[in-house]
Amino acid sequence: MRGARLGLLVAWIAVLALLGVLVATQLKVGTDLRSFMPAPTTPDQKLLMEQVGEGPGSRLLLVAIDGGDDAAKASLSRGLAQALRKDPAFTQVVNGDFDVGMLDSALLPYRYLLSPTLDTESFDEAYLADQLQQRLDDLGSPAATLLKGLLPRDPTLETLKLAERWTPVRSPEIREGVWFSSRGEALLLAQTRGAGFDPGAQEQAIGQLRAAFAALPGSGGSHLTITGPGYFTVMVNAQTRDEADWIGRISTIGFIVLMLAAYRSVSSLLLGALPVATGGLAGIAMLTVCFPEVHGITLAFGFTLLGVAQEYPIRLLSHRREGESAVASVRGLWPLLLTAIASACIAYLAFYASGVGGLKQLAVFTITGLLAAGFSTRYALPYLLPEHARDVAGMPGLAAFRTWLDALPRPRWLPIPIAAAVVAMIAFAPGPFWQNDLSALTPLPRDLLMTDARLRGELGAPDVRYLLVVQAKTADAVLTASAKLEPRLREQVVAKALDGFELPSIYLPDLATQRARQAKLPDRPTLDAALTAALRGLPFRKDLFAPFVDDVETARTAPLLTPEMFARSPLGQRLAAMLSARGDHWVGLSTLSGVHDAAAVAAAVASADPSARLLDLKEASESLVAAYRTRILHAVLAATLLLFVTITLALRSFRRAWHVLAPMTLATFLVLAVERMAGIPVSLFHLVALILAAGLGLHYALFFERDTGDPAEQRRTLHATVVCVIAALLVFGMLAWSSIPVLRAIGLTVALGVGFHFCLSILMAPHARQDRLH
Amino acid sequence: MRVLDKPLVVSGELAWLGGDRLERRVESPTKEVSTIADGEVTQEREGKKPRSFSLKRAPQLQVLLDSFVALLAGDPSRLGQSFDVTLGRDADRWRLTLTPRDARIAKQIAGIHVYGTGQLARCMRMDESDGDTSIDLLGDLAAKMPAEPTREGLIAQCGGAM
Repeated sequence: MRGARLGLLVAWIAVLALLGVLVATQLKVGTDLRSFMPAPTTPDQKLLMEQVGEGPGSRLLLVAIDGGDDAAKASLSRGLAQALRKDPAFTQVVNGDFDVGMLDSALLPYRYLLSPTLDTESFDEAYLADQLQQRLDDLGSPAATLLKGLLPRDPTLETLKLAERWTPVRSPEIREGVWFSSRGEALLLAQTRGAGFDPGAQEQAIGQLRAAFAALPGSGGSHLTITGPGYFTVMVNAQTRDEADWIGRISTIGFIVLMLAAYRSVSSLLLGALPVATGGLAGIAMLTVCFPEVHGITLAFGFTLLGVAQEYPIRLLSHRREGESAVASVRGLWPLLLTAIASACIAYLAFYASGVGGLKQLAVFTITGLLAAGFSTRYALPYLLPEHARDVAGMPGLAAFRTWLDALPRPRWLPIPIAAAVVAMIAFAPGPFWQNDLSALTPLPRDLLMTDARLRGELGAPDVRYLLVVQAKTADAVLTASAKLEPRLREQVVAKALDGFELPSIYLPDLATQRARQAKLPDRPTLDAALTAALRGLPFRKDLFAPFVDDVETARTAPLLTPEMFARSPLGQRLAAMLSARGDHWVGLSTLSGVHDAAAVAAAVASADPSARLLDLKEASESLVAAYRTRILHAVLAATLLLFVTITLALRSFRRAWHVLAPMTLATFLVLAVERMAGIPVSLFHLVALILAAGLGLHYALFFERDTGDPAEQRRTLHATVVCVIAALLVFGMLAWSSIPVLRAIGLTVALGVGFHFCLSILMAPHARQDRLH
Repeated sequence: MRVLDKPLVVSGELAWLGGDRLERRVESPTKEVSTIADGEVTQEREGKKPRSFSLKRAPQLQVLLDSFVALLAGDPSRLGQSFDVTLGRDADRWRLTLTPRDARIAKQIAGIHVYGTGQLARCMRMDESDGDTSIDLLGDLAAKMPAEPTREGLIAQCGGAM
């Protein structure tokens, strides 16, 4: 017997090890938060999902350098910008440093096709003469040193016009040649190549940024402040991991202490852990089989939800009695346990029906895990447990507790006032009922958000809420539409509806515009003649402008500039961030800053070109969340109906089903009502947590309802339930202390739920009357 | 200037507005007012939008500003901060040679020579490192600007004040 038991134990551990190897070699953990967001349906929502993380605005890191005098900070800013411009992790770095080399020399002749000068002027004698006279004046002015070098190649100063055009409209104060905030920090904007909501890529980029800064001479005495969506992603990730770690540690210790106190047996503790371990590993193994990539959050939440499975071995351990083998105990318990397992699986099916990738994974994981844990509790664990066990029914105090509970008044009318109170609380609760704002779940410290808002304001960094979207068949059609938007948006800036804007056509005009400009460029003999005539009477050296004539000739005959060719220059990266191919069409995404009158801007955009529109990301995300919630509510409703049917069938009695389902339903609404009274708007995570709590509550009600006339068995039920309740309160009560809103929402809801479910299933259980009859 | 065949002549007034602020008012050939204040250079021309840029982008101007302000304020310690100063004397006449200390600035400005008599500075010559020279004839010397000036002639005229 002993040998068989040892063999089984070894076999079980071997199976676990095998699953472990499968998981370790096959599991690919993803970090894209979007798989935990609802599936988009409208075009706006689809764009929003693409935007979350990938759009130009969400890839911006805002950097402030503080400490030391202005000169030191400016030189650090310049050094950092120089280092990051060479780093492939960053597509764009701006710090206010004037950079004529923005167009590399191979593309320099293209300035005549990029600059709007030729739209209104032509390089004839009159224009050139006027320009040259102005340059002569410039040479006699303080700007001389600045312009002297440009003069031979660029007498009409197209490079400066382009630089001006490409400089953000609202830029911070320039000191020592770089941007400074009003608090005297040197400012810098860096755009990462990686998506803003990809913690891995962002962590690497931020690490490289910090390393580049630390490597600069004199950076020791200075302080680097980083903010922006990418930085927040990294922060949240680290914070979530840290908190989950310490909460997990404390919960584990508490759980071990609880199990030891409840069963006074180390072997029970260790063996009791096997079904949950089996469930967890089986769940992950199933995920690796069903999905190419498993989300990190699925695993974190999944193990939390799988906590329910710990109830199965607890039930078995508590219901053992002197002289009865564990196998016999589990046989007596099994019908009820099976009902509990089936109903929990049905509750978790609601996640699957939500249609959200991450939640589907969660459902697959928990359902597989629950079944594996349940069946291993039934068919493997009893054969491992020692022959003899201590009957917990004899535990001191338990009988007294049971008597006290039985003595509590259990009026049959109790559900009525509770239901009335629930309705009243929900009706009169302060604040909005639903939490539609996804960002409200951002677990960021307030001062961090304040810093972000301050730097964003100072830098004139784009508004994260609004986005200008142009969709067309080809990249060139997007550029054409974008060009039409430019004058309209300029009007909006003048009308103060808007502070500034970016458009892809500002960097690269469409082909037709380029062609028209090219056509206006004179050929070499014509330009030579016009230049000679224009130079008459001016003191410039005759051959001085040969590079200018060469460049014009190059621009006149060169192939037109396409986004692909432009991509090789540093500016091309900026364009690539705004212009991208999506399936069979192209999308231009431009950022706006300081939107004061969204309606006016939206109207101006829509009237300029039918393919363009203003996207309100907040609105899109709220509509997305609302749609998401409707789906979850439907799924919950369906799951509830299924539950009623299952329970009624399992108990073969409407009356008994009522005794199980009524306290569960009432407690669920009571949690909702109490949270609403506390002013907490209900978010998706609350709904998920309510389902989990309902699953737990259902177990309590099922076991309390169990019709046994045996007071010892009732004490065992009470013992098991109390252990389960304390375990759940321990785990979820700890989560309720978390600073991360998602974890707090789940922790608080489940902890409250467990409490209410326990109390109501006792107060509404039919046992009391029967006990008194005996 | 190397880019020009002949010297470029500009005339007008230069005013020190106190602190680090200079105003340069040009009367001919084109009316233009330039102000250097708070690290910014602002240029205003008739019928044109004002243009401004940071002083840091034109280190030559910063040097000019430093030397002018130090001279006008009679602040030898400030001159000493930015330049190696040598003084040559010949009876009443004097010559001050300023060489920038900062290597970055020295790349653009080879040196500044200020010529004067008694209490008055009469001419200022700035040699840029690329070979260009700018000469400011000050006070009554400005009236003696020849109609067809040459680079050599002007250098002699400026130095001739000594």
